[in-house]
Amino acid sequence: MRWNNLQPRLIVMAGVLALLAFASPRIALSQKSAFDLDGREVNPLSADPGKVVVLVFVRRDCPVSARYAPMIQQIAQEHSDRAKFWLVYPDKSDSPAAIREHLAAYGYTLPALRDPGHTLVKMARVQITPEVAVFDRARRDHDRHLVYEGRIDDLYISASRTRPAATTHEMEDAIVAAMAGKSVARSEVRGVGCYISDLE
Amino acid sequence: MLHFGSRISSRRRGQFAFVLTLAASAICGLHAKPAHSTRSGATPAGQVTYNRDIAPIIYRSCSTCHRPGEAGPFSLLTYSDVKKHARQIAELTQSRAMPPWLPEPQSAKFADEMRLPDAQIDLIQKWVEQGEVEGDATELLPAPKFVEGWQIGQPDMILKAEKPFTLPASGTDTYWNFIFRVPITETRWVKAVEIRPGDKRYVHHANILVDRGEVLRQREAEPGAGFGGMEIRIESQVFDPDSHLLFWKPGTVPYVEPDGMALRLDKGTDLVLNTHMQSSGKPEMIQPTIGLYFTSQPATKFPMLLQLENDTKLDIPAGDRSFPVGDDFTLPVDVDLMALYPHAHYLGKDMRAFATLPNGTKETLIHIPQWNLNWQAVYRYQKPLRLPKGTTVSLRYVYDNSAENPMNPNHPPVRVKGGNRSTDEMCHLWLQVLPVNFDAKQGDPRMVLQEALARHNVEKNPADFEAHYNLAAMLQAKDRLSEAIGEYTIAVRLRPDDATANNALGAALLAAGHPEQSAGYLQAALKARPDYFDAHYNLGFALAGQNDFAGAAEQFRAAVELQPNDANAQANLGAALAQMGQFAEAKIHFEQALKIDPNQAIAKENLEALEKEMSGH
Repeated sequence: MRWNNLQPRLIVMAGVLALLAFASPRIALSQKSAFDLDGREVNPLSADPGKVVVLVFVRRDCPVSARYAPMIQQIAQEHSDRAKFWLVYPDKSDSPAAIREHLAAYGYTLPALRDPGHTLVKMARVQITPEVAVFDRARRDHDRHLVYEGRIDDLYISASRTRPAATTHEMEDAIVAAMAGKSVARSEVRGVGCYISDLE
Repeated sequence: MLHFGSRISSRRRGQFAFVLTLAASAICGLHAKPAHSTRSGATPAGQVTYNRDIAPIIYRSCSTCHRPGEAGPFSLLTYSDVKKHARQIAELTQSRAMPPWLPEPQSAKFADEMRLPDAQIDLIQKWVEQGEVEGDATELLPAPKFVEGWQIGQPDMILKAEKPFTLPASGTDTYWNFIFRVPITETRWVKAVEIRPGDKRYVHHANILVDRGEVLRQREAEPGAGFGGMEIRIESQVFDPDSHLLFWKPGTVPYVEPDGMALRLDKGTDLVLNTHMQSSGKPEMIQPTIGLYFTSQPATKFPMLLQLENDTKLDIPAGDRSFPVGDDFTLPVDVDLMALYPHAHYLGKDMRAFATLPNGTKETLIHIPQWNLNWQAVYRYQKPLRLPKGTTVSLRYVYDNSAENPMNPNHPPVRVKGGNRSTDEMCHLWLQVLPVNFDAKQGDPRMVLQEALARHNVEKNPADFEAHYNLAAMLQAKDRLSEAIGEYTIAVRLRPDDATANNALGAALLAAGHPEQSAGYLQAALKARPDYFDAHYNLGFALAGQNDFAGAAEQFRAAVELQPNDANAQANLGAALAQMGQFAEAKIHFEQALKIDPNQAIAKENLEALEKEMSGH
């Protein structure tokens, strides 16, 4: 008697689409996602297709990130019907417990992701904390455009010098533009704060 | 024969006291913590390593503030700490944003200069460029041993703010004042002060005002609550100029005054801590403490704080990028200059002060090319500078009110004038000077200085109310009453509704024996400030001087109502009532006065006279 040795093979389909390079890049997430605080892989761009997605990159040890917390929380709430905010922690040494403590201390009710591999960082092209990446609503093939990445506003002149008040509001302008399906004049404005590359 | 006591109130331009802090924290050996190094043996030539080259820089210039419990937002004590902020450190040291130190180097060196030499900045740059190599573990020196808690040992007296202040999660800069009641029962001499602002991460700087008359308590909504305000001024009753700069900023360590230079604190003094705070993103509880260190050595040398200023010239057009303001003051006595404190608000740009000695030599006192209000500081000289009589001290400040100035609070820019609010501007330079080479028999050299400064200000700005008022007060303190009256008169003409000036003029006229002239001014003072104790008191005196005892009684009654524990007011009320024949009531007030102060001479005399009268001799 002969037996066929059929080894069922499990083929993992990542469902990845190619990353196309456009002036305003269309982004899709590979299977290397970020992680929620319970350790599950999460793709923040594939959820909430009808909403604008805002990724806010922060460090727990960054005083500039910290100072923006009330404003981020407030703007997130104001636009919650049409924009979905995520806090992204790129410091691989930040444990979920430490992040939870951080969220509680700053009154954040936003979902948080850990990005130890800097997947989201690279995709969003951010360099500093705090910086944000604003994506428009997903199209039918689940692509989104990166409308803006960079600083929240111009409050900080340098890490140790602030203006009396911000005179530009890039993050909010980008969110409003993205919600209307428009683009912004400057799609990238470097922020002031702590370097994400120092975490490598 | 009834006697009345008189009271004079005078006000001086607000001054605040600072403590100079100086320290080198002791660096003792500790067991070296071996860091995991990635290589051992010889380091390639030209390679910069953390362990050998960078750690000493960090320990000396960063760790003092960048460690738990101190002002830095994260620690910089180990390789892994520094690596996590390496690029940031390279950027901020290159731009000299960190360590925070505003003045340029100069020949008159400052103590505790927090300035990195160019070579060290270059090393940091190279280290980051080369990939932040850790290096040989055996080359790492142990971290310095920092003093925890009180920096110079347990204080003799610790004062804690009665109530914490809640700094809100967000908002513009916050200025809050905490009042500390000093529970001493007799005069004490303070050789050092440590200000512990509560949470050094959120208090940017703080300074102590010595409130010798407990005047600022009136500004609290309830006792212990503190009060807001950026620039605080104190009126004072006598010539007792502030002498010490009591200041804290991150990195400050208490300075112990040498023998003879202690700060005097009398019973009934409040210390007011003016703090500047910045929000952190979450609410923070701020509850400062102050440590006092006493000495039995009383002060034998008396420094004073002189304020050079020219706020009146501050009228900066919107858009003006380079508006200069200056002042020049010639010293009338020899002094040693010990420290200085330059001050401006958001638009200050280039700030410079220099001294031109009688022999023509010029000495730069300070030069700050890029002012930053947030990093203001008191700068103490390593060695006091001898400035002989006839030296001219000059200040030259330049302001930038253009849209290009990122610190401009107004968008678009607006016209800005001198004033107390953060949106106004200031042009101040405080000098701590110690008069030297003087003959004490010829009087207090500080009064000579103060009068010269007051005259200078009057000449500089003939419409300067403050200057005339202060000059008047100085002249009155020297019993040059008719000249004082002349200056008070100008002050009142400049500000007819100013309660203090009107009262001061009235009081001076009274002292000069012109009660009928004084009444009008005292009434004006009361119109402006109906609960002005001194003005009621003085007006009572003036009316009594014109034999209007009913009017006098009314005024003294008002005074007593405001301050029932003022023995003089009680005694004078009694005197007025007695003059009106209301002996029984008069007696009550004389007795009250003696209850408060058994040595109240007027009450005693009057009571005796009254009792004689009542018993029919």
